[in-house]
Amino acid sequence: MTAAFAGRRILVTGGAKGIGKAAALRFLAGGAKVACLDMDEVALADVSAAHGVVALKVDVTDTQVTDATVAEAAAQMGGLDGVVNSAGVDLESSLEAMTDAAWERLIAVNLTGPMKVCRAAAPFLKQAGGGTIVNVSSGAGLQPLKFRSAYSASKAGLQMFSKALALELAEAGIRVNVVCPGAVETPLFRSSIAEGEEGRAQLDAVRARYALARIADPDEIAAGIAWLTSADASYVTGVALAVDGGRTFH
Amino acid sequence: MVQTDRFKDKVAIVTGGGDGIGAGIAARLLAEGATVAVLDLDAGPLRAGLAADTVPRLLAVEGDCTDLATLEQFHARVVGELGPVDVLVNNVGQSGRGRSAPFHESSEEVWRFVLEISLFTAMRMSRLIAPAMRERGGRIVNMSSDAAFVGDTGLVDYASAKMGLIGFTRSLARELAPFGVTVNAVAPGAIRTRAHDTMPKEVIDRIKASTPAGIVGEPEDVAAAVAFLASDEARFITGQSLLIDGGRWMI
Repeated sequence: MTAAFAGRRILVTGGAKGIGKAAALRFLAGGAKVACLDMDEVALADVSAAHGVVALKVDVTDTQVTDATVAEAAAQMGGLDGVVNSAGVDLESSLEAMTDAAWERLIAVNLTGPMKVCRAAAPFLKQAGGGTIVNVSSGAGLQPLKFRSAYSASKAGLQMFSKALALELAEAGIRVNVVCPGAVETPLFRSSIAEGEEGRAQLDAVRARYALARIADPDEIAAGIAWLTSADASYVTGVALAVDGGRTFH
Repeated sequence: MVQTDRFKDKVAIVTGGGDGIGAGIAARLLAEGATVAVLDLDAGPLRAGLAADTVPRLLAVEGDCTDLATLEQFHARVVGELGPVDVLVNNVGQSGRGRSAPFHESSEEVWRFVLEISLFTAMRMSRLIAPAMRERGGRIVNMSSDAAFVGDTGLVDYASAKMGLIGFTRSLARELAPFGVTVNAVAPGAIRTRAHDTMPKEVIDRIKASTPAGIVGEPEDVAAAVAFLASDEARFITGQSLLIDGGRWMI
């Protein structure tokens, strides 16, 4: 890994686990200052102790907390020129079983959360004279998954939010792009898989959805995030890049 | 650009790599350590722009990409002299340029030329490469265009060929995925090349005004995306189409 991110100051939500953590480590290896924002205090303490990143607890559904935490991250890094919104939750539910509370919670984390983070971060990115935002959507936002209506809708919404933002922030030198992962070996993905024989059958069914017939490593998604964040993608904005081993063929 | 050696000891083919975007791709892969073979009518512009230390790793063959026998000879020479191919960039393609016309006045002769150079060459070259890639994996990157997604006027043949490449990309991605081969497409918007330089200033101003990034891209911008898709980094990305257009379309 070379110094592709030397001098960059990058904030990653969901940065203590899974895809967010893998992205944070790539930025770090590339010479960036990194702030990991997460709900999970134990995971935050781990990532901070192991890698020396700025680690801050956040709840992206809370506007005040989000504003203050983004500002704190910028203060600790001496500014901000990169944002990755990787925090997200899953919800498997039929329409009949859907409660208002479950729906609203999912939209609050997966769609409204990134908006809040972007809104809090934009003044800092502008102050830095430009920057990058990469929002982590999902293949489910391109091609639906059964019993994931709320999740698919939130992730499709995140894509169009990002594209609209790409238009709005272009003149400030801020690029906004989206990565759409398939199934990735993360705590979030694991939580959707049952134990034992049933779980093995579930995993086989998941693998069969992908042309590459396997589940991704978080670092493979982080590679896409890192590329879109890097100067190599300086002419790329408003793009939704599927990193999904071949399911959506977007 | 950050210098790396991602393509050290790798062999890459770039069709139409003698000038424009193709030359940008060839130069980028060379700069990152690849041995690169180029087939084009004229490789002069590529040679003129290359860093001296990369020249020994370039095999530039001058020939017509629309001719099957030329492609077969080129492929045999590359494999014989450089070894098996790790990366195939199906870059070559062209509109009818001066011979393009509104559809009702367009000629079948021009359609055939555009489809041959922009779609059939990619299919032929890929078929030559596929057997070895099924044995040892690889990367194929196809050059589509925003003209396909948008449906440029006066370029029905070109848009058809470039959208055809998208179908080709997806189908081949599925077929070769079990063998460790990824197949993706990039779709550039307005990029500063020789063809672009002949456009009237009003047209270029109109493109810039409709591009959020506010600039016309450079061949290096496309090369950076191709290098990423051709690298080990992108091993989980297949069947995708990536627009490199400064945010002009966002589709």
